[in-house]
Amino acid sequence: MANTQTSVPAFTAGQVLTAQQQTEINTGIPVFADETARNNGFGGTGEKVLAEGQFAYLEDSNTTQYYDGSAWLSVGGTFALTLISTTTIGSAVSSVTVSNAFSSTYDNYKIIISGGAGSTDGSLKMTLGATSTNYYWNGSYGGLNWTNTINGDASGGITSSLGVGLFSANSIFANIDLSCPNLAKVTSYASQQVRTATGGFFGTFGGFLNDTTQYTAFTITTSTGTLTGGTIKVYGYQNS
Amino acid sequence: MATYKIQIDDKVRNATADEAAQIEAAHAEAQAELEAQAAKLAARQAVLDKLGLTASEAAALFG
Repeated sequence: MANTQTSVPAFTAGQVLTAQQQTEINTGIPVFADETARNNGFGGTGEKVLAEGQFAYLEDSNTTQYYDGSAWLSVGGTFALTLISTTTIGSAVSSVTVSNAFSSTYDNYKIIISGGAGSTDGSLKMTLGATSTNYYWNGSYGGLNWTNTINGDASGGITSSLGVGLFSANSIFANIDLSCPNLAKVTSYASQQVRTATGGFFGTFGGFLNDTTQYTAFTITTSTGTLTGGTIKVYGYQNS
Repeated sequence: MATYKIQIDDKVRNATADEAAQIEAAHAEAQAELEAQAAKLAARQAVLDKLGLTASEAAALFG
């Protein structure tokens, strides 16, 4: 890259600077290929001693960093949520599998399913990997219309999937927080969902999968009917 | 058995017989959940009827 440099020089009084050195100065923030190059760019013979307030740009991660006196930190801080994948739901599908959603990089995940539409009113069920037993869950509903009588529990229990979302003829929605799907622990979840219809309702569900399998994939299946359009976005919560 | 379409990541295809059977089992289980929920609602409504309360009045009472 045109701006890449390998050192941040310290100049002496009266020193004649080369064109390359002038160019590096003109860049402003020194640009390095990666962390290794950045670390090697300070403290050597003829180089600046690394000190608090120093900035650097890393090409491999496209990040600007500053040195706080003991460590390099990213400008703007670390984002709490990182988008891992976006899956666009196809036409008239009964289930959608998202592979490679979970890894050792994150312990906890947020999954948002939104947009699109169902072929009818229905709910969204989640399974992890190929597991179809030992899902424990329940939840409660509240009617969006005073006159309906939907208020009550979701009648979950020990089933072959987790209740995680709702859909209608004009939308699909689920907001799911999933804990430890890729760790050797039980996977637990909590979700909120809304069925957007004049007789619709919201729901809050929670539960867990009672095994310690380390999962990388999940599948969303309809309770009835099909889904068309919308997206399934998977985010990872930063571990630290 | 009905034909179902499933999606794996970005690819949509027809479900195999085994996959279709799994979808139908999931639908049947969901239907049972709905029926259980409807039964609970009906039981609640029966109590409300006995008390002479509407759902709104019950909501006002119990939140």
